[in-house]
Amino acid sequence: MKTLLQKEIRLSASVLSYCFLAAAVMTLLPGYPILCGAFFVTLGIFHSFQNAREANDIVYSALLPIAKTDVVKGKYLFSVMIELAAFLIMTLLTLLRMTVLADAQPYRANALMNANPFFLGMALVIFGLFNLIFIGGFFKTAYKLSPFVPYIIATFLTIGAAETAHHIPGFGACNAFGFEHFPLQITLLLGGLVLYIVLTGVSYKIACARFEKIDL
Amino acid sequence: MEIVTLDGICKTYPAFRLNNVSFSLESGKITGFIGRNGAGKTTTIKSMLNLIHTDSGEIRYFGLPLIGHETEIKQRIGYSTGTVSWYPRKTIRQIIDVTRRFYPNWDENACRHYMELFSLDERKKPMELSEGMKVKCNLLFALSHGAEVLILDEPTSGLDPFSRDELLELFMKLKENGVTILFSTHITSDLERCADNIIYISHGEIQADCPKTDFMQNYGKPDETLEEIFLRLEREARA
Repeated sequence: MKTLLQKEIRLSASVLSYCFLAAAVMTLLPGYPILCGAFFVTLGIFHSFQNAREANDIVYSALLPIAKTDVVKGKYLFSVMIELAAFLIMTLLTLLRMTVLADAQPYRANALMNANPFFLGMALVIFGLFNLIFIGGFFKTAYKLSPFVPYIIATFLTIGAAETAHHIPGFGACNAFGFEHFPLQITLLLGGLVLYIVLTGVSYKIACARFEKIDL
Repeated sequence: MEIVTLDGICKTYPAFRLNNVSFSLESGKITGFIGRNGAGKTTTIKSMLNLIHTDSGEIRYFGLPLIGHETEIKQRIGYSTGTVSWYPRKTIRQIIDVTRRFYPNWDENACRHYMELFSLDERKKPMELSEGMKVKCNLLFALSHGAEVLILDEPTSGLDPFSRDELLELFMKLKENGVTILFSTHITSDLERCADNIIYISHGEIQADCPKTDFMQNYGKPDETLEEIFLRLEREARA
């Protein structure tokens, strides 16, 4: 597993995957749809897939003495690594907004989504959608990057739904400040985490099955 | 001793069919694989590397079926092509440092030896290499993990006559050390010099599979070279 991840990091990853981790800092932006930060992180991972395709990485990997499923596993390991790194940054900044900056005027006057556990859960859902729609779709051919388009549509619908949620009567608690509605907020975060694990797991299985079938 | 066996390999594409391809490679021999563009050489090689799915047939290495033993078989074989470059923007050293971790048998001394022999600079990137040097770079990877079987897809294409000569010398030395080589090429004069056996494929079917001397005798006319025989056979097939 370590060898596979090293191959991804040292040979096929684009430097943009690391640069776009900075988008996780968007968590601090007031008056901005902060879930877009999660989308930009996945845009960085997308660049690594583009890079890998141009470097003939998939065929090179398939020629190595590893199972075909390991070629898929390497891509998932790398993507999950970047996603979890972004999630860690988002979590730290969300905690900052929930504690030290909880009463800061720009955040109190924020009409858009607050940084809270619900936001973190939705960021995980976006990462899960990326894994399911883009990575799962990529391994249909192992060279077409077009599954990124349905992923963009699904993501912006999800961001729209998450941003709208707290304006719907009865769902105001989604936009809690600080530690308000904490049990509900943690439940929503855990829900996002479960969805991320399920979407990624299902996607990995689908991608392995698809990659086994294709001719390189 | 037969070290690689293909038995009844079929693969159908919309405009091409590899039809019942069967042959074996003998241990410690160089087998030339000839045929014009589109005859089925690369499809056969891809099926030998499990890069494509065959419709039927079986491929065995060292007595083991490829399907089900792919990982252990790939530890013992090497592949090189003159037509693709891997990771064009990484240095050769970076590619080596990652690749060697996948091969417990990787021999860093052999790697350095071939790098010197091929005059390769490990600080260079594949995109900075000439076509001939790319071939040598690909060969370097195949030779550094002590492969017992080398599958070479047009390894001498793009090489200058001196480099080709060096490479053929190397293949013959590897053969003496017991390495089995499948050498797919259009440059039949290379095979005249180093091949023990010839496999000739045309329109997806194996037309001949025999020792080179038998091939020259059975298919050639007096004083005809391998290239002349190959050209005549192709013209006759077209007529």
